[in-house]
Amino acid sequence: MEKINKYLELSAFSLNKEKKSKVFFDLIKSLTRHHYNNSAEYKKILDVMLGNLNFKSLNEVPFLPTLLFKNSHIKSVNTDKVIKTLTSSGTSGNSSKIFLDKINANNQTKVLNKIISTTLGKERLPMLIIDEKPNLEDRSKFNARRAAIQGFSIFGKHHTYLLNQNGKIDYSILNNFLQNYANKKFFMFGFTSYVFQNLYEKINNKKLKYNFENAILIHGGGWKKMENKRISNFLFKKKLFEKLKIKNIINYYGLVEQTGSIFIECEKCESFISSIFSEILIRDKNFNIQKPGERGLVQLFSILPTSYPGHSIITEDIGEILPKNKIKCNLDTTHFLIHGRSKHSEVRGCSDV
Amino acid sequence: MFKKDSDIEYLLGSKQPSTLPTKPFDSLVCEFLEIFSKKLNLIKNIKNYSDLKTLSFWCRKGNIYNLKKKYFSEETRIGLGMIFHITPSNIPTNFAYSLIFGLLTGNSNIVKVPSKKFNEIDIICSVINSILNKKKFKKIKNRILIVRYKNNDSFTREISLKCDARIIWGGNLTINSVRKFELNERAREITFSDRYSLCVINFDKLPKNNKDIYKKLALDFYNDTYLVDQNACSSPHLIIWYGKNDKEKKKLFWKNVLDVVKLKYDLSERLAVEKYYELCNQLSTSNNIKNEKRYENLIYTLNLKNLVIDMDSFRGKGGFFYEFNTSKISDITKIINKKYQTLTYYGFNKNFFKSFLFDNNLKGIDRIVPIGKALDIGLIWDGYDLNKFLTRIIDIK
Repeated sequence: MEKINKYLELSAFSLNKEKKSKVFFDLIKSLTRHHYNNSAEYKKILDVMLGNLNFKSLNEVPFLPTLLFKNSHIKSVNTDKVIKTLTSSGTSGNSSKIFLDKINANNQTKVLNKIISTTLGKERLPMLIIDEKPNLEDRSKFNARRAAIQGFSIFGKHHTYLLNQNGKIDYSILNNFLQNYANKKFFMFGFTSYVFQNLYEKINNKKLKYNFENAILIHGGGWKKMENKRISNFLFKKKLFEKLKIKNIINYYGLVEQTGSIFIECEKCESFISSIFSEILIRDKNFNIQKPGERGLVQLFSILPTSYPGHSIITEDIGEILPKNKIKCNLDTTHFLIHGRSKHSEVRGCSDV
Repeated sequence: MFKKDSDIEYLLGSKQPSTLPTKPFDSLVCEFLEIFSKKLNLIKNIKNYSDLKTLSFWCRKGNIYNLKKKYFSEETRIGLGMIFHITPSNIPTNFAYSLIFGLLTGNSNIVKVPSKKFNEIDIICSVINSILNKKKFKKIKNRILIVRYKNNDSFTREISLKCDARIIWGGNLTINSVRKFELNERAREITFSDRYSLCVINFDKLPKNNKDIYKKLALDFYNDTYLVDQNACSSPHLIIWYGKNDKEKKKLFWKNVLDVVKLKYDLSERLAVEKYYELCNQLSTSNNIKNEKRYENLIYTLNLKNLVIDMDSFRGKGGFFYEFNTSKISDITKIINKKYQTLTYYGFNKNFFKSFLFDNNLKGIDRIVPIGKALDIGLIWDGYDLNKFLTRIIDIK
């Protein structure tokens, strides 16, 4: 764990691919051992599936399906050490349960900070949150969205919510915020579908007294709802620019199973990039590694999960690593695209599915 | 006939079908099926739809003739009248079999097909339509209505009250939700609920190496399982290896299955992840797994330490099997309850199973068929003889 603490002091994009890969693999390997020693469930899985824990490369490290976190309570610390439980927004049935101890929670904040400060700078900015003002008495709703808002709030000051508790835009509060802070750089954060719904579909320009030209908008949380509206990332940016003149828009990709080590967008390459704290592999339906440019299931690594075995997971998302010739920036790291969820196969059979 | 029908799609037939019965195996119906079988077999791309091929083959003149011969009895029987079929959401051709059973037994039919769209359904409907448009088959047209709707309680309620029999092809969720709607006092109902199926292979009768036998067995096994993503009621989840354990034979069997699966099965990414999840879930929660073996990502086998009473809750999808080796028949009989439907076998004499069933007072297992026949649907299904269930007897003395 000491090795991890040392690594966590580095800045988010400070190592090139070659330098990163060796250290990163080493950390993932020791995390695998750590979880093997501390999670009975994880040990049981590995004991049956693998002969030993001597992996030669990242490709060989075992992975758990994200579905497992949705349906079981798997963790690598004693229950009394758990200070926070994260649940995903859970649009489809069961939601993930991620158990965090103090160290894991702190490291998430630390790493998120390192990644986000590369775009926002080190100073806290006035922050407009594109979400409902929370009802503080109702603590049961601490889902992935709340967690993300709380996580990103550390980059802001004068935190202001766009929506009141009934989900309506409060124009007097909004205009007040813009009057005070919109003349300089300020920060907006929200879930992709919320941002689009409120900052594009609902907002009434006539009621705005100030503009959003100085805003930096960071949004994430998935494109599922946007696909139904046929809005791509390109259109998203275009429409928000046309409506509110927001120029600086950054999408991120991250799963509640690996909160903190998110993947932010590289504007030049129109793709997500991995920091030194995370990595991605693409696998086909046989779980064989796909080459860059080939689509497949997304496997994610993060060195953050210590209180639950989520350091190597296979998701239900379909993605693709960009081949070298499509990379336009100078950043020597993995660039990738996400193509949404794998389609629910039309499973045949007569049982309820 | 229907008050609210805005969300109901009428695929074919008469909006107000007849409610009157006829004699079973009516010659016009048989002729209709013969033409249907031929026309279906002639559609473009039929080779891409093995389930349509099977359906076409099932309706062939010879098979209908055989069924008619088998059905013949001294009793005087007539259809019930009108049957309401609620067919399963995931087997695209099932509605056609259900409809054909209704027609053959002398009934008029309202058939609800899955709300999910399948090419197979469109193809079958267009073939039927092309036949029904001929004047000759006007009477048949008057005995069929095929509808598609998602949630229309008023339709389900109205037809449930009107029909003389209701057939619900499960899942249990569907059955329970449709059961809320009352039937007429005289009406009868069949529910095909969620079932569990297993496969028993006799080690002693399996040759040490005989390419042809293994090849055929593997293909037959594939047809029982992967062909429907292992998600049909009659697809086995549990493989019992009977007799003295022979690792080589077992390996040979799965290797041959793998060859077929590789050639024929298109595993989706989603199903691959779901299957992998089920593996991790079982490994992390169960203490009953001796070991697991995967053949690429296509076949997962989990070797069990014991057969447990709730075996029927251990299910797999897309090529996920539990295995157990035993020489004691009592190991098998102790787990069988009324959820068990089909037992597929290799290397047994069918008389063996007769004593097996009676001597042990078994509440489950309605079908015992060789491997490869798990999905062969017929008028005898799930413990019912539909010839009898969908007709009434007229006692003439």
